[in-house]
Amino acid sequence: MTLRTILAASSAALALTGMAQAAEHGPFKIGITQNNVGVDSYQTTYEQAFIAAAEENDMVESVVLDAGGDVARQIAQVEDLIQQDVDAIIIWPTNGEAVIPAVRKAHQADIPVIVTNSNIAEQGFDFVASFSGPDNITQGARSAEIMCDKFKDMGIEAEARVVQISGQPGYTTAIERAKGFEDRLPEVCPDVTLVETQPGDWNREKSQQVMEAFLVKYDDIDGVYAGDDNMGVGALNAAKAAGREDIIFVGATNFSVGYEAMEAGDYWGSIYQSPVDDAEAALQTAIDVLNGEDVPFLNYFDTPKITQDNMSEFTKPVF
Amino acid sequence: MATLTKQKIGSVLAKQGILVAFALFIIAFTFANPKFLSVDNLFSVIRSSAILGIMALGVTFVVISGNLDLSVGSMMSFSTIVVLDLHDKIGPFLAIPAMFAMTLCLGAFIGFLVGYLKLNSLIVTLGMLSAIHGLTLTYSGGKNMDIADKEGTWFSVFGQGTALGIPVPILIFLGLAAVLGLVLARTPFGRKVYAVGGNGTAATFSGIRRARTVFLCYVMSSACVAVAGLIQASRSLGSQNTVGQGLELEVLAAVILGGASLMGGSGTIFKTVIGVLILGFIQNGLLLLGLQFYVQFVVTWVIIILAVWLDIAAKRGKLWSPIA
Repeated sequence: MTLRTILAASSAALALTGMAQAAEHGPFKIGITQNNVGVDSYQTTYEQAFIAAAEENDMVESVVLDAGGDVARQIAQVEDLIQQDVDAIIIWPTNGEAVIPAVRKAHQADIPVIVTNSNIAEQGFDFVASFSGPDNITQGARSAEIMCDKFKDMGIEAEARVVQISGQPGYTTAIERAKGFEDRLPEVCPDVTLVETQPGDWNREKSQQVMEAFLVKYDDIDGVYAGDDNMGVGALNAAKAAGREDIIFVGATNFSVGYEAMEAGDYWGSIYQSPVDDAEAALQTAIDVLNGEDVPFLNYFDTPKITQDNMSEFTKPVF
Repeated sequence: MATLTKQKIGSVLAKQGILVAFALFIIAFTFANPKFLSVDNLFSVIRSSAILGIMALGVTFVVISGNLDLSVGSMMSFSTIVVLDLHDKIGPFLAIPAMFAMTLCLGAFIGFLVGYLKLNSLIVTLGMLSAIHGLTLTYSGGKNMDIADKEGTWFSVFGQGTALGIPVPILIFLGLAAVLGLVLARTPFGRKVYAVGGNGTAATFSGIRRARTVFLCYVMSSACVAVAGLIQASRSLGSQNTVGQGLELEVLAAVILGGASLMGGSGTIFKTVIGVLILGFIQNGLLLLGLQFYVQFVVTWVIIILAVWLDIAAKRGKLWSPIA
C-alpha cells in the first residue's frame, strides 16, 4: 500500500521507465559534490531542493557533499564518492579545469559523471555523461529580445542606446550571457546601439558605481542589460538616485529583489532561472543516465523570459 | 631669492609628493573627458569612495601601530547583513546600536589576540577574514538580506540622503576624517599609537601600555567598519553576503598609497584620505575613458606604481635611486 502511494507520487518520467527496471537496478546511490553552499541564496536553495527531491524519490539514495568553494576539497570528495562505490556522481565544479582529473578518475571507475549548473572545460567532455544546467547564451539572447520588444512598444527601436553591466570578468557564465546578448541584439533590433560594457562583478554595489559613471558619461541611455538581477537592481538604484526614471532595465537570473522591482514598475524584465528546477534537472539527468536512456550531452533546462506583463505566472524567487 | 623659492617649492614637493601625483591624475583625466570634473561626478566618486575611505581611516591607526588588519572586508559584510536583518526585526533605532555592539566585539576580540596574546596580526586577521565570512553566512543562512519596505524607512538617510546639498556619506566620511585626524595628531592616544609602532621597546620604557594601545586601535578600526557597513546597508537597502569581499586589500592599498609605513610609526589621516581619493578617481576615470575592462586592471596598477614612485622620488629628491 505504502509502496503504491510512493510510486504514484513519483514523477511521470520515472513512471515511464517502468517498474521492471526499478526492481532490477534497486535504489540508485547518487553522490553530489557542490561548489559552495551558503555563499549565496541560489546555491543554498539548490541544495535544499536537491535533498528534498532525492528524499521524495525512493529509488534514490543520495550522498550530499559541499566543497566550500575549495578545489582540493572537491577533488577529495570525488575520490571519496568513488571509494563509496556510488552509482553516479553529480558535480558542480568549483573550477572548470582543475576538477577534470578527478572526473576522469570517476569515469575510469565506470561511474557516470553528471556536471550541474556550470560546465567543465571542453577537454574534460569525454569523461562526462551529461551536463545539466541553464543555457547562458540563450539567456543572453532572450534578454536582448525582451529589451528589443520593449523598445518596439515604446517606438524607440530606431535610436535607442543601451549599456551593459556584465558579470565577473573571466567567468564562463558572464562571458556566455554577454555573448548571447551582443549577438542577438543586432539581429532583432539592428538600429539599437550598445554603447559600452563594463563589469559589475555580480556585485550590487559595484554595479551601482559603474552605473553612476555611465550616467555621468552618457546623457542619453535608454536601456541597461545586467548579467544578473542583483547587478540590475544596483544599476536601478543609481538611476533612481540621479533622477533618471525612463530607463528600461533587463536582467538575468530573476532574484527576489528584481521581482519586487518589477512589481513596483521600476524594472522591466529578466530571465527566470529556478535553483529548484536546476537541482531537480540534475537529479533527473543522473537517474535517466543510470536507466540507460538517451540523454543529450548538453541537457539544458528551460529558463523562460519574465517581464512585468507575464510575471503573475511565476512565483517570487526565494533567493 | 630665486633659490629660496626653489627650495621652498622643493620642500613642499618632498612632503606632499602624493598630492602632486593626485593633481597630475586629475588634470590628465579631465583632459581625457571634461565631465570628469563635473560636480555630479565629483560627488559620485567621493560618495562611492566613502565606504572604503571610512574603513581606511580605522586601518590607518592599526597600520601606524605596526600591525595589519585584513579582516575589515568580511567584517563590513557582517555589519551590513546584521543591520539589514535587524532593521526588519527590531526596527532601525535598535538595529544600529546592536550592530555596532556586535562589530565592536569582533574588533575587541582581534585586539585581544594581537595586543594581549601577542599573536601575529597578519595570521590573526587573515584567519578572521574567513572566520567572520563564515559567521555572516551562518547568520544569514546564505541568503541575500533585503529590507522589506524600501520606500517607507528613514534608514536610507545614511547612504542616500543629502544635507546642505552634499551627500550624507561624504559628510560622514569627511567628518570622521577630521575627528580621527585630530585624535591621531593632537591627543596623547595618537602619540602613543605612533610610539608603539615606531619603537615598541622605547614606548614600553616611556610607560606606554602597548597592549592596550594596540587593542584600542583594533576597536577603533571595527568602529569605522561598523559605520561603513551602516552606509553600505543604507545605500542599497539590501545586500549579498560577500559585499565587502576583497575590500581589505583596496583599503590597505589606499593606506599605503597615502604613505603610511607597513613597518609602523608613520602615516597621517590626511594622506590616507588622499590615497583613498586617488584609488576612487582612478577607477572612475578609467570608467569614463571607456577603456576595455581587462586593460583597466593593468592600468590601475601602473597608476598606483606611478604615484608611489612620484611620492618616493619627491622625498629623496631624485628619480633614480637603485638599492646599493
